[in-house]
Amino acid sequence: MTKRTVEIGAFGAMIIAFAVGLAVPPDAVQGDLQRIMYVHVPSAWLAYLAFGITMIGSVVYLATGNLRWDRLAGASAEVGVVFTGLALATGLIWGKPVWGVWWTWDARLVLTAAMFFVYLAYLALRRGVDGADRRAKRSAVFGIVAALQIPVVHFSVVWWRGLHQPPTVLRPDNPQIDPPLLFALLMAVFAFTLAYAALVRRRMALATAEDSLTDAPRPDEQVAGAAVSAPQIGGGRR
Amino acid sequence: MSDWGWVAFAYTIVYGVLIGYVASLVVRTRRVRSEAARR
Repeated sequence: MTKRTVEIGAFGAMIIAFAVGLAVPPDAVQGDLQRIMYVHVPSAWLAYLAFGITMIGSVVYLATGNLRWDRLAGASAEVGVVFTGLALATGLIWGKPVWGVWWTWDARLVLTAAMFFVYLAYLALRRGVDGADRRAKRSAVFGIVAALQIPVVHFSVVWWRGLHQPPTVLRPDNPQIDPPLLFALLMAVFAFTLAYAALVRRRMALATAEDSLTDAPRPDEQVAGAAVSAPQIGGGRR
Repeated sequence: MSDWGWVAFAYTIVYGVLIGYVASLVVRTRRVRSEAARR
């Protein structure tokens, strides 16, 4: 599948998911407010997926030493931070009218916010280390250790009872949701996942270009081992 | 605010951030590639 095909597919799927999310019947309890679920749940799912892919990329990089896997890990982490931020933001917006507060110290909310900041630290680490190999090794270790919190975040609503509701779809027994609403949710999850794939591919292309730029010498830079600078035509720099 | 107002708020944030992120990736990639071409 080409990059362009993924991007066009993601764009189309996002438009369809948007329309389906607004067209399906309202929830019996929350009414139209429940439609926020069609952007909140896919964002949270992509946080898990993105950080899981970061862990896989990190493991494969450490096993193979191929920088392409490091770029995948870094790209997925950046896109994951965007979706985690969206999950937090839509959670706040959903919480205010339903719970009466923007924020509460519920285990799921606190752990999701902690995960957001941990992966911000991961991105800061990637920017703060010079040398592609050194950066890749350090961030790979970070990426593997940080992924340990993903199951803790997901099962926090089961282990600690709070305001946040337990899982609706990803639960041991049958999903507790009516078919039309489940269809809209799965459509949104599919569309957001395609968007994630397109964004990661674009971010990886940017990382490849950035790495080649870092490796290339500046025009006015002496090549290591050279004794003299190249002659400046026209009198040199002014 | 009405229920639809909250829904519109959430959807605007999500789709707005995603469109902004795509735009930033496109601009950053073009800038880096043009810099690489100059070297």
